[in-house]
Amino acid sequence: MPKTQPSIFSAYQRNPALFDEVFDREGSILKDYKRLMKLYGKQSIEDYHELNARAKASFFNQGITFRVYSDDKTNEKIFPFDLFPRIIGASEWAFIERGAIQRCKALNMFLWDLYHDRNILKDGVVPLDLVSSSENYLDQMRGMDPPGGIYNHISGTDIIRHADGRYYVLEDNIRCPSGVSYVLSNRGALKRALFGVFNHYKAHTVTDYAENLLDLLETVKPHGVDIPVTVVLTPGMYNSAFYEHSYLAKTMGVELVEGRDLFVENDFVYMKTIRGPQKVDVIYRRIDDLFLDPMEFRKDSSLGVPGLFSAYRKGNVTIANAPGTGVADDKAVYSYVPDIIRYYLGEEPILANVKTYRCGQPDDLEYVLEHVRELVVKPVDEAGGYGISIGNTLTDEQVEKVRKEVRESPRKYVAQPILSLSVHPTYIEETQAFEQRHIDLRTFTVMGQDKTYVLKGGLTRVALRRGNLIVNSSQGGGSKDTWILKNEP
Amino acid sequence: MLARVADNLFWMGRYIERAEHTARFMNVNYFSSLDAPNTVSQSRDFVLRSMLFMVGDPPPEDAKLEEDKVLFKIGLDRDYPASILNSIIFARENAHSARDLISTELYYSVNKFFHFADSYPARSFVKTGLFDFTAQVTEMTAVLRGKIRGTLLHDAIYAIIMMGVNMERAIQITRIINAKYNDARKSLGSYGDRFRNSYEWTTLLKCAESYDMFRRFYKKAPTSLSTLEFLILNPDCPRSVMNSLNQVHQHVLTIDPLKASDKDSTAFMVGKIRSEYQFKRIEDIEGAVQAFIDHILTELSAIGSQMQKEFFHY
Repeated sequence: MPKTQPSIFSAYQRNPALFDEVFDREGSILKDYKRLMKLYGKQSIEDYHELNARAKASFFNQGITFRVYSDDKTNEKIFPFDLFPRIIGASEWAFIERGAIQRCKALNMFLWDLYHDRNILKDGVVPLDLVSSSENYLDQMRGMDPPGGIYNHISGTDIIRHADGRYYVLEDNIRCPSGVSYVLSNRGALKRALFGVFNHYKAHTVTDYAENLLDLLETVKPHGVDIPVTVVLTPGMYNSAFYEHSYLAKTMGVELVEGRDLFVENDFVYMKTIRGPQKVDVIYRRIDDLFLDPMEFRKDSSLGVPGLFSAYRKGNVTIANAPGTGVADDKAVYSYVPDIIRYYLGEEPILANVKTYRCGQPDDLEYVLEHVRELVVKPVDEAGGYGISIGNTLTDEQVEKVRKEVRESPRKYVAQPILSLSVHPTYIEETQAFEQRHIDLRTFTVMGQDKTYVLKGGLTRVALRRGNLIVNSSQGGGSKDTWILKNEP
Repeated sequence: MLARVADNLFWMGRYIERAEHTARFMNVNYFSSLDAPNTVSQSRDFVLRSMLFMVGDPPPEDAKLEEDKVLFKIGLDRDYPASILNSIIFARENAHSARDLISTELYYSVNKFFHFADSYPARSFVKTGLFDFTAQVTEMTAVLRGKIRGTLLHDAIYAIIMMGVNMERAIQITRIINAKYNDARKSLGSYGDRFRNSYEWTTLLKCAESYDMFRRFYKKAPTSLSTLEFLILNPDCPRSVMNSLNQVHQHVLTIDPLKASDKDSTAFMVGKIRSEYQFKRIEDIEGAVQAFIDHILTELSAIGSQMQKEFFHY
């Protein structure tokens, strides 16, 4: 047994079948965590419990919460987070970062091609019906040149580590990826609670996200604008991600607007201020494509701005991310991303893809129907972890139900082998002890004209229920601060 | 700044101020009545009616008031729009929608304020917590004003919030004067009391946190005239209508200094009304106090509508 196991970990049980990020197979602490374990080891579980409670109260009082609507009263909840950080070494991170940039670049080129010449379809690398059957494909974007040639300005790439210790990309999020504000507030909470720990590690800062985001958004300003006026467009304060929207606007120092604050005149966009109308050049929108402009998309949208798309078409305003990016982060397109990377960049993919069965293809469909129990079946166009069936957790009726649904609309589903996400020691309040919990990592990549930035950190999400593999916050997931080391210790 | 957000911040300022005045009015009236020198002022019914009058909800003459219910209604009732709790909820909702513009420190305090009031147990409030709750509300609003002044850039955003604070202050002070003027008349004729030097004037000054400074300024016990002079016309009394209007004037000019001479602007209107009080003597209103109070309220409401038209139209 390990000699250095500190007291707060004395009850920690390792399942040797899982990949633990902190302990190796023999139970020794991995080198990046050695000093951390020493520091945490000085505390008793009672101390830790108190620190945890204090940090939670600070989140609550700062209003870093999301609202849950139930009964007659709206309740506010803090996102569960864990004070034991995840550490990623410098070289490992360099690999992840290169991989994320490669993917985002390739997807951007794919989107340009798709909405222009469609060479990749003509060359048969990606089948046409995959695109034409996608609900997220926007015909209005055909032939349009978004300012700076960028579609997916902000991308969230979800990465996991399998039991084999390798990183895999699970999902690309290039519509409105969220979560970055929690990266920053987790860091804040950890610094307040355990400031001493930072003296022993050289971790990259995460607070430069907003300035980089604003810089890069300004590089894709509309043609002819000198100093652009940038705004963040939110659905409003009752949206569950409103904290993030206001946080980003505040840290970028730009206005946070709702659709009703904007109007379009002669194909230019203005916001209504106390001193009259002011022209808006760059919109970082946090509302979905179909709600952007009731004249062009959903008629009943009260969140959007009538005439916005027409102003966009004229090149008078930048919308980030561009409308219509959803066609490329669709889970069926996901399986083609390695081919897409090879096609446009002539490079081998740096980050691996998870083997994906496309139910739209007869061979794959047959395999999936026969092996539901061994697979994760996902709808292609749902976000937030909804509609996912994990084969080995299903009852016989549920298996039948999945089969039926997949058979009825095969294009709507993909399936992947059940991956074993790596685990990280996580403090569980109910048992007052550290336990293994599955984690993933969402990285944030921002692309501007000739400039790309990856947030050196990311959101490590934790599935808080024992054995659960779904880490999304809407499904009871928590998070951890994530340190990217400046150099190997 | 967006017109909609300006509107929200204006109302954040107003609700913070409103919570404070309602809380202090409850506190001072309730506790000073306990040992009031005449029987009318000492009666529970009298105090509860005074509170309801102040929040704009005077009960019918023959209504039987229950102390627990009235205190709960004005203090912590979520279903009563004028309750202190609702003022705090609205202040926080307005702050929430403008979170990107105000400082983290200010939002933190507003949010903490809300959680304090929201979780205050109603039962202990009406039995033993009245003093504690209202005193803490008063205290926390002072912290909020400190954060507003000390952590925000003194630009248009600050000016809008301070316009809200000072407009509300002028309105609330006038309402409190109105309520206590009404009380002084009602307690008239009871043993050992006369209108001119009614006990209610002392209570009124305490409701406006101005009693000590009043004593320093006049070096005499308060009378009807000196109290009204101090709370309406004295520009140095921080709670006076005069002082509040001066502040509104100053802040409205920050937003656009060039508007001062534009005869259709808020700045012009506030300047004009302000000048009226600046050159008014208390003796001029001696015989018609009620009419003058109504006149002030009408003018304040006109300023409010003008602001709405000029700044918050969206």
